[in-house]
Amino acid sequence: MIALENETLQNLISDLNLTNDTLSDHLNHLAINESKHLRDLRINLKNALSFSNLTRKESLLIAFSVAVNDRTKNLADSLESLARAEGATESELAEVRACVSLLNVNNVFYRFRHFTKKDYYQQTPAGIKMGIMINPILGKEFFELLSLAVSALNGCELCVNAHENSLLQLGTSEARVYDAVRCAAIFRGMTVLS
Amino acid sequence: MNRIISLGESFPTFEKTSVTSLEKGKEFSTLSLDQQLGTGKWMVMFWWPKDFTFVCPTEIAEFNKNYSEFSDRDTNLIGASTDSEFVHLAWRQNHPDLKGLRFPMLADTSKSLAEELGILEANEKVAYRATFIVDPQGIIRWVSVYDLNVGRNVEEVLRVLDALQTDELCPCNWKRGEETLSISDVVEA
Repeated sequence: MIALENETLQNLISDLNLTNDTLSDHLNHLAINESKHLRDLRINLKNALSFSNLTRKESLLIAFSVAVNDRTKNLADSLESLARAEGATESELAEVRACVSLLNVNNVFYRFRHFTKKDYYQQTPAGIKMGIMINPILGKEFFELLSLAVSALNGCELCVNAHENSLLQLGTSEARVYDAVRCAAIFRGMTVLS
Repeated sequence: MNRIISLGESFPTFEKTSVTSLEKGKEFSTLSLDQQLGTGKWMVMFWWPKDFTFVCPTEIAEFNKNYSEFSDRDTNLIGASTDSEFVHLAWRQNHPDLKGLRFPMLADTSKSLAEELGILEANEKVAYRATFIVDPQGIIRWVSVYDLNVGRNVEEVLRVLDALQTDELCPCNWKRGEETLSISDVVEA
């Protein structure tokens, strides 16, 4: 295959621990046409895993949450094994999955409340169980950071503002919030082509 | 005293022989500023004092290991010293870490380019460990000069290159009330 002669694509595959045979047509097409964007994408992805306010493990968990959120199984598998290599435990990885699932519920529901702004919807209890938020094994702060990243992906304004606010109250720096959202945004650029 | 050429100045014109390959008959080729500008790419030129010394191969191998990081950033990588092309070739042939080099080694045998750049050490007349980032218009955008025995950090060069190249071109980044930017404004800024 011609695409595999593209060095940038090969480097991307190796950076993200992907395999040649699971590459999407989109990525192959960019490679065959020597797209400048493929080079930028690879650099952005690599940089996103080494932002200074996140550890590599944290970056990988955020990236993994994006892959789960965006239903890109191959990418999720690769990022999961990279996160394991950085010390992520099975229960932490399970919690990331759970967090993505719950946030998808909340992103839809609270976005509706925010859109409509009617008293009935604001005041009636949601009746949605969210037990995993109480005592997360990833720690309250990182769980919030993941929640923010997923909410940013799914475009819920209320959720983004709420999690950003609670992070700052926990003492998280704006620089760390910024890095987490940048990381998630950059990985969206990969999942959409996966 | 030398004055080291600095930010915002044009990279001096040059035309030098370089070693580009170990293959017989294809070892040498000419490198010039015009040729560099013709590629429309960025240039990173890094200098070392002398071939066949200890710190150099480690550092050169590190640049080479990151060759695709530079090419993915639309950047031509050039290594240079005041040794002749024959010394460069002999060094490449003899040092296992240098056999697979993918970038040209420029031979500033007359020392004229090192002189113009202001990086010639006064006593021995060898180049300091200088690194230049030059934009596609030939303007120097970053200079670092280390003492003869201090090795470089290639990651730092890539970090600077990223920062220089990451212009926020997206209109969603404009704030209300600001004048809109054209690409040429951004490039010239």
